[in-house]
This record gives sequence, C-alpha cells and structure tokens, in this order.
Amino acid sequence: MFSEQERLAFVALAVVCGALAWPGFSRIFRIVLRGGAAKRTDRLVSRILTAAFDVLLQRTVFRTRPIVSILHAFIFFGFSFYLLVNLSDLAEAFVGDWVTIGRGGLFGAFNLLADLFSVLVIFGMASMLIRRFALKPKAFEFNDNVLLHPKVSAGAIRRDSLVVGLFIILHVGSRWVGTALRMAQSGQTDPWLPTASLLVPLFADWGPDAIESGVHLTWWLAIGLIVAFIPYFPRSKHIHLMVAPINLVFARSSHIGALDAVNDTASPGARGVLDLSWPQLIDPYACIMCTRCHEVCPAHDSGTPLSPSALEINKRYLINEGSGPLAAGQDVGLLGSAISSEAVWACTTCHACVSVCPVGNEPMRDIVDLRRSMVFDSEVPDELAETLRSLDEQGNSLGESNRRRSRWTKGLGMEIKDARKEAVDLLWFVGDYASFNQSCTGTTRKVAEVLGAAGVDFGIIKRGERSAGNDVRRVGEEGLFESLAEQNIALLEECEFNRIITTDPHTYNTLKNEYPKLGGDYDVVHYSTLLLELLDSGAIVLSGRLEGSATFHDPCYLGRYNGIFDAPRRVIERCGLELIEMPRNRESSFCCGAGGGQIWLNDHDDMTQRPSEMRIEEALSVGVSRFLVACPKDMTMYSDAVKTGGHEDDIAVEDIIDLVAAVIETREGGE
Amino acid sequence: MAGVLVVCEHLSGGFADITFEMLGLASSLQVGEVSAVAFGSMADRSGELGAASTVISAGCSDDFNPEEYAAAAKSAVETTSPDLVLVASTSMGYDIANPLAATLGIPLIAYCTGIEPEEGAFVCTSSLYGGKMGVTSTVPGPAVVMMLSGAHNADDGRIEGSPGVSDLGAVDTPGRVRFKQLIEPDQGDVDITQSGVLVAIGRGIGGKDDIEVAEELADLLDADMACSRPLVDAGWMPKSRQVGKSGMRVKPSLYIALGISGAPEHIEGMKDSATIIAINSDENAPIFDVADYGMAEDLFDVCEELIEELE
Amino acid sequence: MRFAVLLKWVPDLVEDLEVDDEGTGVDTEDLKFKLNEFDDHALEQALLLAGEGDEVVALTLEGDGAEKMLCTAIAKGASRGIRLTGGSSLDTAGLADSFSQALGADTYDLILTGVQSVDDRDGQLGPVLAARMGLPCVSVVSEVGLEGSTAMVAKEYSGGMVAEFEVDLPAVLGIQAASEAPRYAPVSRVRQVQQTVDLEEFAVSGTGASSGSSITGMAQPESGGGAKMLTGLDELVEVLNGLGVT
Repeated sequence: MFSEQERLAFVALAVVCGALAWPGFSRIFRIVLRGGAAKRTDRLVSRILTAAFDVLLQRTVFRTRPIVSILHAFIFFGFSFYLLVNLSDLAEAFVGDWVTIGRGGLFGAFNLLADLFSVLVIFGMASMLIRRFALKPKAFEFNDNVLLHPKVSAGAIRRDSLVVGLFIILHVGSRWVGTALRMAQSGQTDPWLPTASLLVPLFADWGPDAIESGVHLTWWLAIGLIVAFIPYFPRSKHIHLMVAPINLVFARSSHIGALDAVNDTASPGARGVLDLSWPQLIDPYACIMCTRCHEVCPAHDSGTPLSPSALEINKRYLINEGSGPLAAGQDVGLLGSAISSEAVWACTTCHACVSVCPVGNEPMRDIVDLRRSMVFDSEVPDELAETLRSLDEQGNSLGESNRRRSRWTKGLGMEIKDARKEAVDLLWFVGDYASFNQSCTGTTRKVAEVLGAAGVDFGIIKRGERSAGNDVRRVGEEGLFESLAEQNIALLEECEFNRIITTDPHTYNTLKNEYPKLGGDYDVVHYSTLLLELLDSGAIVLSGRLEGSATFHDPCYLGRYNGIFDAPRRVIERCGLELIEMPRNRESSFCCGAGGGQIWLNDHDDMTQRPSEMRIEEALSVGVSRFLVACPKDMTMYSDAVKTGGHEDDIAVEDIIDLVAAVIETREGGE
Repeated sequence: MAGVLVVCEHLSGGFADITFEMLGLASSLQVGEVSAVAFGSMADRSGELGAASTVISAGCSDDFNPEEYAAAAKSAVETTSPDLVLVASTSMGYDIANPLAATLGIPLIAYCTGIEPEEGAFVCTSSLYGGKMGVTSTVPGPAVVMMLSGAHNADDGRIEGSPGVSDLGAVDTPGRVRFKQLIEPDQGDVDITQSGVLVAIGRGIGGKDDIEVAEELADLLDADMACSRPLVDAGWMPKSRQVGKSGMRVKPSLYIALGISGAPEHIEGMKDSATIIAINSDENAPIFDVADYGMAEDLFDVCEELIEELE
Repeated sequence: MRFAVLLKWVPDLVEDLEVDDEGTGVDTEDLKFKLNEFDDHALEQALLLAGEGDEVVALTLEGDGAEKMLCTAIAKGASRGIRLTGGSSLDTAGLADSFSQALGADTYDLILTGVQSVDDRDGQLGPVLAARMGLPCVSVVSEVGLEGSTAMVAKEYSGGMVAEFEVDLPAVLGIQAASEAPRYAPVSRVRQVQQTVDLEEFAVSGTGASSGSSITGMAQPESGGGAKMLTGLDELVEVLNGLGVT
C-alpha cells in the first residue's frame, strides 16, 4: 500500500527532523548539567516508581481544577496510548501486511481504545483551546506589573498553546479520520471502532482514488506530523510531556520545611540562570503554563508584580534565547529578565505555588536563591535592612532591647522557670512576636496561664533567646540565620529539657526542620499539638463548652509545611465550637501575607487588597463571627485586617488558647 | 587674669540665642570678669553684649570658617587668659572648641547643661547617651566647656550695655579651609517653623509605610508633619521637615512627638513649643522630660485609635 | 586616594542604661554595644567617594566589637581593617592620641569619622584628632565631593542652613550623614570576611593623653519629669479637646 518512495520520504523526514531536533535537546541537557548541585538522584528506583505512580494516576494534576484535570487526563491517557498507535501506524507502512482493522481479539481491544481515546483527546484538547481562547479564564492573566519576557508579552504563550493544541488535534484527528477512510476503502465497518465507523458514511460518494489519497494524506498528517514536530519540542511548551515526568522523578524528597544549604558560600544564591541548581533548570521545561501557581499565590492575588508562573515561563524563554552561550557556561542574569527585584521581595514563601504544581516545579526556591544573592550584594529594601540589623544586633526583629524579652511575664500571677537555671520538662521557645508584639503578648500570657493550670513543668529562656531565624533564612540572609541558630543552639545546650514547645509555626518549622543540620536536634512540639495532648491526658479539664461556630486559618508553616491540620481543629471542637471551614483550608489554605519576611517589608504600592483582608472576607462568606488562629503573626495580621477592612463588628480574631483559657477548669478556682 | 570668656556665635547677621545663654550663665557663675569674643563685623554690635565687660573683636570674615574662627578664639584666650571658656555646643562650636582645647592643651567638657564653680575647678553636668544620662565632671580651670542650647534662659544674658572693645587684630591661618557659600534651607512645600500644630515622627516609627498612619493623624488634626534626624538620613522624610539642631527650630502651639526618644539635638529644636505631647513605648525616653503630656504606649495603637476617634 | 574611617563601639541606646556601682560610669555588664551610627555614616560616605583603585581603611581600637566592626566594614567594601592595640584610654583625648599614631604611620588623603558619639564627654573626635595632627577639619558634614586635591563639603548649621567649604586635602571630616543611608552589611559576607581576611594590627605607644577631667557622678535624668503621663485614649482625647485642636 505504501510505496517505496513514501517510505524513503518518511525515513528522510525522520532523519532531517531528528538532526534538526538534536541540538535543541542536547543544549537543554547540557544546560541542566551546568546547574548547581542538588541531592536528587538518591534511591532512583523508588523515585521512578513514585513518579510513575503519580503520573499514571494523574495524582498531582487532580489537586485542583477538577474539570480541567479530567480534560488533561483525556489528553494524557490518549497521548500515552497513542505511542502504541503510532507504532502500529508505522508498522502499517513498513511491515508487509500489518493491519489492525477488522481483526478481533487483542487487536479489537487495541482498536477500541485507540478509537475512544482519539475522540477523548480531540474533545479534551478542543475544550482546552476553547477555555484558553474563548472563555479566557482570569487565571491566565498576569497582573499588569508582572515582568514578562518580551516574547511572552508579544503573545508567545497564546501562539505556542494554539500551535500545540492544533497539532494535537490534527495529529489525533487525522489518525481517526484515516481509520474511517480505511474502513470506507474496505467497505466494512469494524464494531471495535465505534466512533470512526460513524464517519464512514461521509466517504460513501468518494471514488477509490480519492479514498486512497485520503488514507495517505491522513497517515502523513498523523505520523509525518509528529516527526515533523519533533524539532519544535525543545523550543516550545510541548516538551512538557517529556520533561514533566522526569521532573517528578527528580522531585524534592527532603522535608519541604528545610531550605537547601547554600552551594557556594563565596557567592550564595542565584544571580544567573546557571547559579540555580539543576532541578531548578528542569522546572521551566516541565511547565505547561497552566498558571495554577499564580492562581494560589497571595502576592499575585493581591496585585503585586510577582507571578511564580511568569517566573518559570520567563525562565524558559530566557534559557532558550541564550541557550548557546548557556550551554557553553556563559551565564545569563535572572533579575530584570526572569523576574523583577520588587517581585522577588513580594514572595511570602507560603509554598502554595510549589505545593499546587502538578509537575513538581519550585518557583519559590528560585526566589529564595535570588534573595540570597541580592542580600549578599546588599541589595535589600531599606526597611528590611533595618530589621536585619536589629536581628543581628538585638536578636529580634522589633528593634527592642533583647533584655526586655521576658517583660511579658511581668504581672503574671505565677513564676515562670528560667530554663537556663533549672531543668524543665518543656522548654518554651517563645519567639519574637509572641514576646514583644503588643497584639501578641496577651495570647502569650494566656498560654503561660493555661500551661500553669495544667500543671505542665515548663520554662523559658529569660535572657538570651534570639529569633529562631525562620524568616531571616527566607529573606535570603543565610549568614544571619546561621549566626542566630548558632547562638540559640549554644543557649539550648546549657538547658536541660525534654521537649521544646513554641506557639509560632515559623519558629516551629526552623527548629524542627533546619536546626538539626546545624547541630541542634530537638523534639519540637507546637502548642496546638500540646494542648490536644493535655486535653487527651486529662491534664486540662474543661469546665464547660463554648457555644457557636468558628473558622480556623491554617498557618502556612504549620499546615502546608508541617502537616499539622488536625490538632488545632480538635482543640477547637473540644472547646465546644462548631468548626466551619473556609473554601481554602488545610493544604490549600491562603497565606495571611506575613511570611517570608513580608511582615517586615512594606506593602507593595500596587497592592490592591492585603491577603489578610481577603482572608477575613473569605471567613465572613462562610458566615462565622469567630476567626481562629494558632500563630502569633496571624494574630497581628488578622487583628489589623479586621480593623483596616472595617469588620470589627462582624468578626473577632482569637487564638485557640483563648478558647481553652475561657473554659479551662483552674485548680485553685475549681471548686 | 581669671574670668570667663564667651565665644559668641552668630548666624544670619545676628547673635544666636546660645550666645546670650552663655553670657547669662557666665555672669551668674561669679568667677571673675566676663569677656566675649565676637567675630567679624559682629563686634560692632558689642552693645548687645552688655553682659560682658569686655568684647574682643576678632578680625575675621563674617562667614564662619573653622580654621579662622578657631585660631581667633585661641588668640582671644591667649589675650584674656580666662579660667573658663564657654563655646556653644553647636555645629560651629564643635569646630572652635575642640581645636581650641587641643592646641592649648587644656581640658574640654562637651554637651554641658550646667556649671558650678568649686574651689578653682568647675563641676559640669553633661547630657550624654542621647540624653539618657546626666554625667558630672570635675574639671580644673582653665577649661573649655561646650554649652548645649536651651539649658539656660537667653534673656538673662540679653543685656544692653557698652562693654569695652579690644581689637584682636587679624588672625593668620594657613587658609586650608575656604568658605564658599551659605545655602538657605529649602522650605519644601511647607515651612514648619510657621505651623500651628506639628505631628513629628522619630525612629520609633517602623517603616516608610507606617508614616502614612502619622500623616493620616496629621490630616485630621490639620497639622503639618515634622520629623527627627534619623528619618531624614534614611531618606524617608525631606530635610525641610527636620526638627532639631541641624534642622528647624519650631514653636508650634502643639507638638505631638511620635516615637521620638528625645535626644538633646532634637529637643533643642522643639522645646519652645507651647504644648508638647509625647507618645513613645519606652517609658524612660527623655522626651517625657520636656513633654507636657506623655503616653508610654505603642504609637500605632494610639494613633489608630485616635484616628478612629477623630473620624 | 586613601581614605581612613575611624570607628567606635558605643552603648546601644535601645537599652535601658544603668549607672554602675561606683556611680561614675554606665553599667556595662550585659550592656549591648554597637557601632556609633555616625561612624557608620562616615564609612558609607568613604565607600561612596572611593572609586576604582582607591583604598578605604577602617580603623578601630582593640576590644569587644573591634573584629565585628572591621569585618563589617570590609564586607561593605572597605579594603583593609586595622585594629589598634595598647591604646591608653577610651575618652576622646585617648582616642585621638591612638588614632593619630596609627594614621601618622601611613598617608591618608581624607580621614572620616562620625561627627560625635553618645559618650564623647571630652569633645568630638574629628576636630580633636585634626588639631593633634595639624590637619584642617570640618564637622557636621552631610555632603562631600572630591575635586583633585580638595574636597567640597557641606556643613550643617541650625535652622536647616548649610555652609559650603572647600578644604585642602589631607583633611579630617566629622560626618553627620552620608549622602545615602548606610548600606546593609550581609552577615553572610561578614562571616566570610571573618574567615578569610586577616585584620592588621597597629601597636600604639602610651603617651598618657587624658581628658584632663574626671567623672564625679552619673545619674539618669528624672524620668517622666515634666510630662503628665496619660493612660488611655480618653485622657488623650480630653487633652486634645482642651487644646482645641480636635
């Protein structure tokens, strides 16, 4: 059926396209190899199995956007199966009398699947195109102030999406129509090809020559096109389908709460593309520009110039544009080309973008790396420099004398042990905000009172405790983080204790996940967990139950980072309140806007509404009047947001300790 | 000859208040004759220096020149051999008193707010550590003492008279420092020396953004914004809004100091305000010493509540 | 050109200061010190002035903070750090004596230091040092420009007036404020400097320079002296109403 010329033409096409595509793939490979070191190749078999599992179940895709994810699944499974279909089609051209149509058994099943998937892929892809080009969801839009690569601004994303979309439809569609033509040619429909069979009547009037030409044309459009398309892969987002699974194989296996150590202390972080670690260089090729990351980004949502999605997209255009020099080791700067410096300082490090990404991209890590290099070169916003100076000189971010750290204990009706002077069961690492900030110290005192009433043997470090440094590290001041950690570890060495408790999830995160690498390995517990423990053990006895309902805000560094979702919820329920969830809860919780050093930075001028104010409105939308938090920074942020948003009469911000304190049965006053 | 020599400071064609403060103090010490050294054509106005019995006319240019004025002051000291030399603790004073004491090899006491003579020596109180400590020094005469403005009443020294004038003649200097020009302050959009109510912010204001809260309060009170030096240095406020030694001297009917600790340099510029309200979270801040009303609380909480109340 | 910047370690005023047992000094036990903020401006001004091939040398007295100050200065861009050992006293007279010896051992075109410090009871370092070294000096400087072998400086007077002077080099300047806010010295870089850079030392010979006076007493001013302390917003509003501004 296929002439010798046709076969030769195909081989020639394959050779030419292969030759054309090779430099592109090879350059990407060489560029990735030039990236910084990262420990991502351990336990390779387990990595591959995990990735395969995730890809085949589309687990990472289905985290959000269910309908789109179903469409994606159609395309994904269809395309995967089409690998077989394409092989079969090649065999048809090259292997004597290879034919599948009209044969039952395994061939029948193959035909049925190919037939159904063809329709599903076309349906899925067409729906995606309609969504992108006709429905134009807001999620695809970038804030006007987001830095975009010139090609992106010129519409490259739309063009690329259109090309890839039409290619898929054409590729699969041609094969589908071709099947119908073959049936028309033989005059027999095949029950294993139910949908293609429906097309057969269309060709009823066609003469044998026309049909024969049609068969050849559709074969070439299906198989020839895919070969012809190969050189386009390394220059387009379509490479996603090859790289995304690879990226998942090399996904982070270490705890997400611990930032990677600096690769080169003489030049920390990333200035240029090649300063990024190699997995970060794979990221942009895995990206299909779905923009799920900026949809969940509090910085983008609040109108600032940060879009994690734009970062990855820009990165790909930037790398492709400079691919020759980059592959030869000549670096290209990231600042001002992949991301603006103001966007770098808008990130809250809430990790939502990383957690939501179906292909395992980590734009937040790039931002931290950029910050590291900027801080190292003293390119720091004034107000942040002021805070860092205070942290260095005083050990706290509030510019207070560190000698006043335990001033909040004044007037408490109890004596709090100094953990440096006597052994304690629980050492309470109080943290900056809980110690100094006036919206937090009331809560801090209540925690002390509740622990006291529960008979917990606890103490604090009355002098010398310094900021644990979680957010210091996240603004990129690695040296200051190390210095603070070293001082805290030296202090903790002096103390005798069993566990550390803290109310601040940021402190919790770094003590638990980052201090061990610096030699401070502790058993750290968040107060929400401890409260539940004390309730369960009967150490805290509740004298009554609260009435009504409330919602709970998951702090990023407690929930998303450390998976503690249930303890605070159970404490709330134990106190008698009905918990009503906000639409964004648990892993998809929406950041208050304070993390990653934002609490020290000024709001960006373009900010339309603070994330904390949006969150309060979200809470109001579910009809609650109590907004519960389990983080001192949340207390500050949301108390402010309630005021600035004018909702003081509508909703009250409370800490979970307020609930416990309200219903706890105190030993003295019990009878 | 014992006695006190006052080094007169002048600017813009008139003697500065501190000159009269020092003259008044010199007379009250009663340790001998009070003489004053006046520079350039200011010596022609010796009638204003009636508190001194002798005015030494130093033949300098009218415009201050560190090298020339220090040399002239030295020459005046050598002529009069006083037990005590009083120099203003000001920008000009720094460049007169220090070289004077150093080249004469006599002691110097800076930032002085009060002097008591005691058996041939002087007991001087200096305001140090940003006004947080009063330090008493005992210094034998002859000595140079730099007086902080505002510690004494200028009117005590503002006495008309006709002191004897002795001419020091021209001073010889190497001329390594040359005066070029005097630049008048850029008034900016507002002349805060004319404001009735000022809301002044200091380092206690956290960041640039937080200034907005203070501005909002100023709007509601129909007040103008002012600030202390660190905010100008940080580039957060224009120089035209700076109150203090190197800034403006203001006398509004109401001065609200937010997050200002009250270093002597700042107090010098605002102590003459009719009413001063200070809000600062540090209850020991020296600003509360000059304020009429104080609140030792977080300034944001107070401001926000106050704004709400006023609205 | 070679710039010298003189640095001084002073008590941090964010702390509550207390008088020591003798009653003549600040209790320094547990007291936190920091770089004199005017010295930080002096350093910044020097770094801003220094161009290609110029050298900025930071000098300070040995003791607590010396290493941190010098390494921080180098992290910010200074070329060298010199620690002075064996200085006699910490008052301005002693400092001027020590610094003049170290500065005399080399040639410097411009010597910058903070206009004053929180504890310079016996005078400001800049002009005292200049007098000792026989150099011209201008204090309270907020702008510096270099033109050949002279510097154009702006000296601040009261009332916002500024005088411009031309000064022959070498000279000493007492810096009030650098033309830009002092840059942030990343601790990452400071730590790297601490590990890689050798600080120089200069041995000062004691000449017994002294302030010629002695501290006989120290006391905190009466706190809350003049002010009637208000508690609560109501009282504040009442005062404002009484003044007729609300």
